[in-house]
Amino acid sequence: MDILLNEEEEMLKKSAREFLEAECPLGTVRAMEKDPLGYPLEFWKKMGDLGWFGLALPEKYGGQGLPLTHLGLVMEEVGRAIAPVPFHSTMVAALTIASDGTEQQRQAILPRVARGDTVLTWAFTERDPRYSPDSIQMQATASGDSFILNGTKLFVDNFNAAEKCLVPCRTGHGSSGANGISLLLVDTNSPGISHTPLTTMAKDRQSQVVFKNVRVPKANLVGKLDQGWPVVDLMLDRATGLLCAQMVGAARKDADMAIEYSKHRVAFGRPIGSFQSLQHMCADMLMWVDGGQLLTYEALWRLDQGLSAGIEVSQAKAFCNEKCAATVRYCQMIHGGIGFIQEFHINLWFRRVSAWSMRLGTTYEHRARIARALLDQPGSVRLGEPSYEAAGTR
Amino acid sequence: MEFGWTPEQIALRDEVRQFISENITPDVAAEMEEGGGRGPTVRALRKKIAERGWLGIAWPKEYGGQGKDQMTQYIVEEEFARVGLSVGGGGSGAGAILGAGTEEQKQYYVPKVIAGEISFCLGFTEPQAGADLAGLQCRAVRDGDFYIVNGQKMFTSGAHTATHIYIMTRTDPNAERHRGITILLIPMDTPGITVRPLWTVQNDPKAPPRTTYGMNRTNETFFEDVRVPVSCRLGEENQGWFIGAAGLNLDRVGAGRYLMSVHMNEDIINYFKQNDLGGYQPTEDTTVRDKLAELWIEAEVCRLMTMRSMSIVLRNEDFSYEGSAEKVWAPEHGVRASEAIGQILGPYGQLLNGSPEAVEKGIYAHNLMGSFQSGINHGSVQVMRDQVARRGLGMPRS
Repeated sequence: MDILLNEEEEMLKKSAREFLEAECPLGTVRAMEKDPLGYPLEFWKKMGDLGWFGLALPEKYGGQGLPLTHLGLVMEEVGRAIAPVPFHSTMVAALTIASDGTEQQRQAILPRVARGDTVLTWAFTERDPRYSPDSIQMQATASGDSFILNGTKLFVDNFNAAEKCLVPCRTGHGSSGANGISLLLVDTNSPGISHTPLTTMAKDRQSQVVFKNVRVPKANLVGKLDQGWPVVDLMLDRATGLLCAQMVGAARKDADMAIEYSKHRVAFGRPIGSFQSLQHMCADMLMWVDGGQLLTYEALWRLDQGLSAGIEVSQAKAFCNEKCAATVRYCQMIHGGIGFIQEFHINLWFRRVSAWSMRLGTTYEHRARIARALLDQPGSVRLGEPSYEAAGTR
Repeated sequence: MEFGWTPEQIALRDEVRQFISENITPDVAAEMEEGGGRGPTVRALRKKIAERGWLGIAWPKEYGGQGKDQMTQYIVEEEFARVGLSVGGGGSGAGAILGAGTEEQKQYYVPKVIAGEISFCLGFTEPQAGADLAGLQCRAVRDGDFYIVNGQKMFTSGAHTATHIYIMTRTDPNAERHRGITILLIPMDTPGITVRPLWTVQNDPKAPPRTTYGMNRTNETFFEDVRVPVSCRLGEENQGWFIGAAGLNLDRVGAGRYLMSVHMNEDIINYFKQNDLGGYQPTEDTTVRDKLAELWIEAEVCRLMTMRSMSIVLRNEDFSYEGSAEKVWAPEHGVRASEAIGQILGPYGQLLNGSPEAVEKGIYAHNLMGSFQSGINHGSVQVMRDQVARRGLGMPRS
C-alpha cells in the first residue's frame, strides 16, 4: 500500500502536461467550440504519435499494454488542458472492444485506434436519463443475419466525428431489467441513422441520434446475446472513472488559476490572497480536488486490477460531481466580475466541469448505488473492505 | 500507485484480528471501560501484545522496537484502535525523542515506553496560549546544571496517570517567539508539580469506550520552582518549537485520528442492519440512504488521506500540507456525521450512557458532544486551513 505515484507515473503525467501546454493552447479550445468537427486533426495526430491512443490497449493490437491508471493520468492532464478532442469516447469504446469484443472486431478496430486513424463512441442514454438497465428501451429485432435497430439515443459524445458507435439495446423479450440487453457495434454511416447536435454547456459535441430500421450484422455483437449488461456495466464504470479523472484535472487547473489570481489581485491595499476568507476558500478547493483525485485513482486502480470497482467508481463520481463543481464555482467567485465575461478564460473550465458533472450518473444515482451496497445485504461494513462490493449494481 | 495490501500485510491483519477475538474478552472490555485501560487485566494484555512483537513496531530495534515499516505499524494500530486499545507511536513523546533525542535519552525512554513503564502527557497549551501556542509563557530558567520551571499548563490530558510530561517552555523571552522555546521531559513526581482535574462534559455520565473525544477528565498542571537536570532537555535549547511542530504534525495522522472521525459511519450502519426503532427502519428512507452514502464517501476520503500520509511517511518524504488538510477534513466530517446521525435517531440520539432506551450505550449522543473537539484540539480547523493555504499553496501572510 503506497498510493502516491511511482516514478514512471510521475514522468508520464509531467510529459503529458508539458505536451498539452505546448500543443493545445486556449485559442484552440475556443476555436473548437465553434468548429463543426469540433477537434483539431493536427493535434489528434500528435496525440497518436505519442502513443496515447494505444496506451492501455493490448500490445497484440498495436497498443502499449500499460495499466488503465496510466491512461487515467493522461486523461487527467487532458482535462486540465480542457483539450477539445474525442479522446474519452474513443478510449471507452476501444477498451470495451479490447476486453469483450470478438477477435475479429479487435483485429479490425484496435490497431486503427492505436494509430489514431479512427474515432469511436458509445450511445447509452435514451429519454430516461438514468444509467440503469431499465432505461434501455431501444429495440433490436432479429432479422436473418442482422438486427434491425429502432429508437433514439441522446447525449452521444462525438457522434459527428465517430466512425463506429457501441449501442446497448434490447434484443430479448421484455422491456425492463438487465436480461435481454445486448451491445452492438454500429457503423455511424449506416443507412437509417441521423443525428442532431445538442447545444451543451461545455460547447462540446453531443448528439441526439435517431435509428430508423438500421441494419446491424449479428457479427457486430459485443459480448453475449441478451446477456450484454455486464459488458455495458463495465463500460459505464470505465467511462465514469475516466471522466472523473478529466474532472479532477480541470478542477485543479481552475483552482490553480484562482490561487494565482488571488496572489496578484489587490484590494484594500493588499493581495486578496492574504485575506483569511480567501485562504480558507483556497484550502477547501485543494482538499476537494485532492479528495476527488484520491477516490478516482482508487477506482481506476481497482478497474485495472480486475477487482469489482462499482462502489469506488460511484464514490468518485458522486464526490467529484459536488466538489469539482464547488471548486470551479469558487474560482469564479474569487475572480469577481471579470470571471463572468465570456472573453475571460475561466468560464471555459467552469462550463466543462459543470457539464461533466451532469453526465454518467448524478450524485443521487451514485449515492443510491452505494447505499444499496452498504444497506441491502447482510454482513457488517467497514471502510476500505471490499466485502460489500458484490451488490454494487446500477 | 498501489491501493491494495500485500499478502503479508493481509496475513498480519488477520493475525491481529484473531488475537483480538481471542483475547479481548468481555471482562477485558469491561475493565477497559471502567478503568480506562490501566487495570491489571489490560496490563497483562499489553504484555501479551508486546510478546507478539506488536508494540513499537516502527521504532528501531536498538531501542526496543521491531524495526519494521510504518505501514505495518498502521495495520496493527488500526485493529487495536478499533477495540479501544492504543498501541501507537505518534509524533510527540517517544516519537519525538527518537527524532531529536540524545543516544542516552533514546536508550532510556523508548524501551520503557514500549514496555508501558513510561508514559508521556503533553504540556503545550496554556490559559492564554491555545491556538496561538507560540505565545506560551511557562518559564524555564537555566541555573547551572538545572532548569527551574515556573508556570501553568492547561488541558494536560492524562497528567494524572502519566509518568512524565513532554513540556514546551520559554527559555528565551527576548528572542522572537518561536525561537525561545525549549522542550523538557519532566518526571511527574518531581517536587513542585500539582495536577488539578478539569472534568469534561463527558463526565456525568461517562462516555462509553470508543467515543470520539470521550475522555471525562483533563487537567490543569502547575509548576512551582520545579527543578530538573539539563539532561531532561530534548534537542537544543530554543529549538523546541521546531521539534514540537514536526511531532504535532505526525500526531495528526495515523489510525487513531482516522478512526476517531469515521467509526460512527460504520457503527450506525451496522447497528441498523441488526436493529430498528420501534418497527421503523430509517435505512429504508431515501433521504437517509442518500445521507449515509454521502457520509460514507467523505469517510472514504478520510481513509485515503490517511493512506496518503502513511505513504509519505513510508517514503521518508516531507509533509507540506497533507497533515494539516487531514486535520480539517476528518474533524469536519466527524461533525457532519454525528449531527446527521442525531437526526436519524431522533429523540433516541439525545440519550446518554446508562439511560434506559439509550442506543448503543449512548455512544452517538456522546460522539455529538465530542466530535467538534477534534476540530479544535491539536490544531484548530481555522489554523489548519491557514497552514494549508500558506504551506500548500504559498498564499501570502497578511
